Amino acid sequence: MIRLEGIQRRYVSDEVETTALHDIDLHVAAGEFLAIMGPSGCGKSTLLNTLGTVDRPTGGRYLFGDRDLAAMGEKELARFRAETLGFVFQSFNLIDELTIEENVALGLAYRGDVGDRRGRVAAAMDKVGIAHRARHFPHQLSGGQQQRAAIARAIVGDPKLILADEPTGNLDTANGEQVMNILIGLNDAGATIVMVTHSPSHADFAKRRIDMLDGRIVASAMRAI
Amino acid sequence: MNRFALLSLYRSLVRHKLYAALNIGGLAVGIAVFLVLSLYVRFETGYEKWLPGHDRLYLAEEYWDMPGSPANGYSTGTMGGLIDQLREDFPDTVGTRIQAMDANVVRGGTATSETFAYADANFLDIVRLPIVAGDAARALQAPDNVLISETIAKRYFPGTNPIGQTMTLTAIGKTANYRVAGIFRDLPPDTELSYSILAKTPNPHPDKMWFHWGSSRVWTILRFDTPQDAARLQEKMRAFVDRRGAKDQGPSIKNLSLKITPLTQIHLQTTPGRKMTVATLGIVGVLTLLIAIVNYVNLATARAGLRAREVAMRKVLGAGRDVLVRQFLGEALLVALLSALGGLILAELGLPMINAAGGLTLSLDYAVVLPGLALLALVVGGLAGLYPALLLSRFPAAAVLASSRSPGGGRAGARVREMLVVFQFALAIAFMIGTVVLIAQTRHVRNTDVGFRRDGLVIVSSTADGAVTEPQLTAFMARAAALPGVRSVTTSDSSPGSSSFNSDSYAVPGKPEPGPSLQAIIVSSNFFPTFGLKLIAGRLPDDAHRADDSRNATGPGPNVINVVINREGVRALGFSSPEAALGKTVGRTNPRMIIGVVENARFFSPRDPVNPTMYYYQSRFSTIPRTTLRVEGDPRETIAALRAIWRQIAPQVPFEAKTANQNMDEYYKVDDRTTRLFGIGAGLAVLIGCVGLWGLASFNTQRRVKEIGIRKTLGASATDIVKLLVGQFLRPVLIANLVAWPLAYVAMRAWLAGFDDRVSLSPLYFAGATMLALAIAVLTVLGQSLRASRAAPAWALRHD
Repeated sequence: MIRLEGIQRRYVSDEVETTALHDIDLHVAAGEFLAIMGPSGCGKSTLLNTLGTVDRPTGGRYLFGDRDLAAMGEKELARFRAETLGFVFQSFNLIDELTIEENVALGLAYRGDVGDRRGRVAAAMDKVGIAHRARHFPHQLSGGQQQRAAIARAIVGDPKLILADEPTGNLDTANGEQVMNILIGLNDAGATIVMVTHSPSHADFAKRRIDMLDGRIVASAMRAI
Repeated sequence: MNRFALLSLYRSLVRHKLYAALNIGGLAVGIAVFLVLSLYVRFETGYEKWLPGHDRLYLAEEYWDMPGSPANGYSTGTMGGLIDQLREDFPDTVGTRIQAMDANVVRGGTATSETFAYADANFLDIVRLPIVAGDAARALQAPDNVLISETIAKRYFPGTNPIGQTMTLTAIGKTANYRVAGIFRDLPPDTELSYSILAKTPNPHPDKMWFHWGSSRVWTILRFDTPQDAARLQEKMRAFVDRRGAKDQGPSIKNLSLKITPLTQIHLQTTPGRKMTVATLGIVGVLTLLIAIVNYVNLATARAGLRAREVAMRKVLGAGRDVLVRQFLGEALLVALLSALGGLILAELGLPMINAAGGLTLSLDYAVVLPGLALLALVVGGLAGLYPALLLSRFPAAAVLASSRSPGGGRAGARVREMLVVFQFALAIAFMIGTVVLIAQTRHVRNTDVGFRRDGLVIVSSTADGAVTEPQLTAFMARAAALPGVRSVTTSDSSPGSSSFNSDSYAVPGKPEPGPSLQAIIVSSNFFPTFGLKLIAGRLPDDAHRADDSRNATGPGPNVINVVINREGVRALGFSSPEAALGKTVGRTNPRMIIGVVENARFFSPRDPVNPTMYYYQSRFSTIPRTTLRVEGDPRETIAALRAIWRQIAPQVPFEAKTANQNMDEYYKVDDRTTRLFGIGAGLAVLIGCVGLWGLASFNTQRRVKEIGIRKTLGASATDIVKLLVGQFLRPVLIANLVAWPLAYVAMRAWLAGFDDRVSLSPLYFAGATMLALAIAVLTVLGQSLRASRAAPAWALRHD
């Protein structure tokens, strides 16, 4: 489904040039659950952001199905994200001024006609067990509940690809497990997931794991079943 | 405020230069507008306060309660002999009188017009003019003495001592030599006593109307030791007027009252609408300052979130809430002081422009301004600093430090800020509507149909000078008529811009006497065609009908005179139509038959109603009138040619001629000035409002960077983001209209009520101002919204 060929990402500030990604080649098949690991600053999040088209590579090709994303304009990319991707962040990134229900509905706000909006929002909240908190604001919820709400927002539009950036990083063990179980459930139901994590145990939930160091993929392994 | 607080304020201002500039600059502009308009209000309300003992001086004013009559309303003048009758009835009356007029100073065969007044011998005892030379006590004792201003002294006696020297003056048609007995310092601009030459009131006075009640000849100035004394005399005035006036005026004296008004209040009464103007501009000044304060509060609270961490750290280090409140109040006071300084500089720089726009001579009196400004900074700093200080000091330290996000006052803070933007824009929009209406009205009065063709009219007022003889006038008119470009010449005792006139009551058969009062204008041949006055019924007077000429009404008993009236006259006399008035005779003791009706002509201020008018025709003049010429081409050339002719015919009288438009300008000047000052104030208020909105948008956008990132990862396009951010600011601006419209409607209706000839309050003014406000708001926040919408989401998500 996804093919990265020779992806590069360089950041240039006043006098310093930093290369976050070196010639990344990566193939992600539909239905896969891929975990990306590595120490801080190795380029995991940059790679994830690149996959999510919120960061643009400075070199290489990014093919999604048969579409070359590098050739797309900002407007097309925005539509691509709205229709194809779901994001889950470590710090949840819920909007403080919106209720949980409104935050989840935001996942559909930028898509065209998606039919029964209310029904889909309710179903997504149900799926992650947050429906009873629909009218609350983010700051009234625990971290685990906020992350589940963020997942509901990510999946409300039935995305082809879910990108999770350390989704359990801000959570305690119990809540972390709960979130991982939700992701596995989603993957079992057919969703493709790419997850960045620091936690080896959570990486073990994935079907495949790649390790990164200094902007390169240094190892790739399938989970033994 | 300790050293660290000062240091952090200094660094914060230096680090956030734009914020500092917006905050200090916005407040400085607000203070400058307030300062300048305060100067204006102080100037306009400070008339005669330079005069020693001004608080004991009062003016006797006449008030005619005769709605619909030309004489209706206040007159600062009274009959000449009022003070004499007051002294007879109330022996302890202390007062004096002064009769202002123009006089001609004759020097080397030519004459120059100067402001002149006849004053009573005790004038200087009561009105203590600043005498710089001569003997004040005796200056006005002798009938051939004059007292002159320093400017007159320099003009006519350069390089010599004027005391004891002779001046030749022509006043009320009489030329005589006077001896200069004293010199007074030039009177300041804030006075209605604008005379440069004073001579003693003739005694007995030659004026036959000197004791005619209701005439307006002199200013009767009274002095009282206490306001209660003035009030006591005021109580006795009704009986006094009835007793004394009835002998002269009969029962109609019931309509006349005498009002004793403090001298310092007279200026605001002399020009219609002036009080309203001063009040309006005062309010603009205060509201502009208020907008600037709101701006400060808005920006300070918006920035509060960005300083949450600093506040939290200070709390952790042991600062109590009171210390923090003091710190932030101190900051506000310092910023207000800086702004006050900036405002002072701006006011000093702007004053020449304001003076030019408003025809003023305002200047900053630092002895008054500096303490006032310090007080203002204290009040503004206190007002502007209190809310942000309380808000900032309330942040819970632990939560702020533990959280990665910054509190910005939460939902309540955002709501307060939105309300402030609503308030600010409501005033700004009301100002815009006000400016548009003022401009529309001032344009309207200049361009509206005044009932006569105002372009191409030249009015020579010199011919009305008492020193001009009939042969001189006849010769002048004949030569003027022969000038190239002059189409017609006529005379009349009233013309555009001359506001004094006669009026008389005319009994209408079958209706109660004395009947309506009509303004009387005596006109000669060619009057109606020269002015382009439109005949709407009947005919115009001519020499073929003997009764048309009012000079023929000299036989025994009442003679019927043919007259022309205007449309307003038809209404006042109670005829159903102009045609119905034709052939009717009005006036029992002074019968007049109406032969024609002309359209209303507005010779006077657009604020005053057009008088019901009766035109008397005279083929030759019985009074010495003003001359009016209809010219083609450049009127300046005609005036130059007329001046040359005048110098040959009547060199002893100064030549004065203006176009009708120049004369009418006098009526528009005050309103033009108001419009300009209001426009400048309103423009700056809108500017401050925009600065505030811009600042607020900038901080809000900054606060929402992360949200924008989230929305973009969810697929929001740049257009969606711009719509979101711009829409956020359009809401308060739209709500502001709901406040601004009724506010502006009420204010502008009150303003326009002061005009008889006025524009209607079209909804277009309101819609236009709203569109303008929306456009300004969109433009103000669009740039930042565009920038925010283009930022890469990945960067935005890392942002905190």
